[in-house]
Amino acid sequence: MRSSPLIDVEKAYGANLGQFAGWLITMDFGDPINECKEVRLRAGLFDISHMGRLVIKGFKSYEFLQKLATKDLSKLRQGEMSGPALILNKRGGIKDDVMLYKLSDHEWLMVCNAANTEKNLQWMKEIREELKMSESDVVIEDITDRTVLLALQGPKSPEVLESLGIEEVKTMKLLNFIPKLKLRDSETFLVSRSGWTGEEVRSYGFEILSDIPNGIKIYRELLEAGVRPSGLVARDILRTEMGYVLYGSDIDEDVNPIEARYWIALTRGKEDCIGCQEVWSRYKEGVKRFRFGFKMKKDVKAIPRHGYRILAGDEVVGEVTSGAYSPTLERCVGMGYINTSHAYLGFSLDILIRDKRYEVKISDFPLI
Amino acid sequence: MSDNYLIVKTSMGEYLVRKSSNVKYSESDEWISVSGNIAVVGVSDYAQKKLRQVVNVELPEVGKYVNKGESVAIIESVKAVSDVYSPLSGKVVEVNNALTLHPELVNTHPYDDGWLFKIEILKPDELSELLDPEEYVNKIMSSEK
Repeated sequence: MRSSPLIDVEKAYGANLGQFAGWLITMDFGDPINECKEVRLRAGLFDISHMGRLVIKGFKSYEFLQKLATKDLSKLRQGEMSGPALILNKRGGIKDDVMLYKLSDHEWLMVCNAANTEKNLQWMKEIREELKMSESDVVIEDITDRTVLLALQGPKSPEVLESLGIEEVKTMKLLNFIPKLKLRDSETFLVSRSGWTGEEVRSYGFEILSDIPNGIKIYRELLEAGVRPSGLVARDILRTEMGYVLYGSDIDEDVNPIEARYWIALTRGKEDCIGCQEVWSRYKEGVKRFRFGFKMKKDVKAIPRHGYRILAGDEVVGEVTSGAYSPTLERCVGMGYINTSHAYLGFSLDILIRDKRYEVKISDFPLI
Repeated sequence: MSDNYLIVKTSMGEYLVRKSSNVKYSESDEWISVSGNIAVVGVSDYAQKKLRQVVNVELPEVGKYVNKGESVAIIESVKAVSDVYSPLSGKVVEVNNALTLHPELVNTHPYDDGWLFKIEILKPDELSELLDPEEYVNKIMSSEK
């Protein structure tokens, strides 16, 4: 099984390990609920080195990515990120949701879901061939194994980075990145203003890419600066509170981005990418179900989980795809697909948990 | 009465196994403590450490008859939901209602305040099929080499 180069360092800080997408990974540091609170109130540090990191470079890399991804990349400048973008199959289903970084005109970084790294590599090679581009026109390089990716999230994140000597954070905008920034005792490949926990309601977090020796140093430096180490369980709760999707739970190859309401990953009118026409024809036809959020009552302790049914009376009208106890709301929340005929936003439906019905309020995102 | 604990150290962690002549374990990590024809049932320290932060416990109805190996309770952590299997056949005579308000007792006191339910033993022969503390230590060791 693969594991992060930081796993031993994390163990020394009390990490509890578990498996995710073929990786041995830190699930929590003993108290995931407090890890969530810490991220919302101050700052938490996540090792997300399991996520795939692919460099796409060469003279046709831009043309290639425009064909591959749902977002229009034409206006992106060097040092900017695409925001979530989708790779679609030919039916318009979601192969992955990724982030694209424009390193230069002919060099891009793709950060993708751990479970999809191999699949994406394979798909990109297929598409490259289909587009009659050569291996030198579009060079695809997997740098996952020799780099570390950290996410520093929470309102105190800018202060922490500033205290470690990165002045630039003050002026850095969301979805921008700066290469080769130096911390006090280490250096990075790049620092971006981004994340998947959603504390951007007040402030933006950062993601830090580096080589392995520096990654270990940065991890320690940030913890010594007072940041709390956090694990995947907390990250999953935080993204659920925001209504952000998790590949494999909320979206997959059979889900169309329109029904997932994954608007931020689409550029309207972009029809020249693989699967895009199918998406926009679906947009015109309409869809049968939508992804919505829901909130449970405060006294209910049972957590809604992937696969549980959503009911209107005795009628099954939807299915839960993610759920969590939200420490912010002190109640359980989640998301799922609900038939458009029954997407009673603002009103209630029931969720069936182990043969018992629980009333939930259908809500839009973010849930907090 | 002071209980003895065996300490099990593996590559994944350190676990306590309560050692007493009336305590036995199931393969699925429940413990029982027998006095007369009543057995108290809970989950082991190993089990609670695997479950991690427990946020919800659903207990059986008092009076329910259960078979050995049948799912009788639910322990839910932030991460996942797990079944608790009855180590013996019998009738549920009492449940630990404190867990409704304080499910975290399963984590903090797995061998005492975090007990789950009491069962009236109907098939005493089944006791011999359960593991002694020493055997349970070996079971943990072999599942976490």
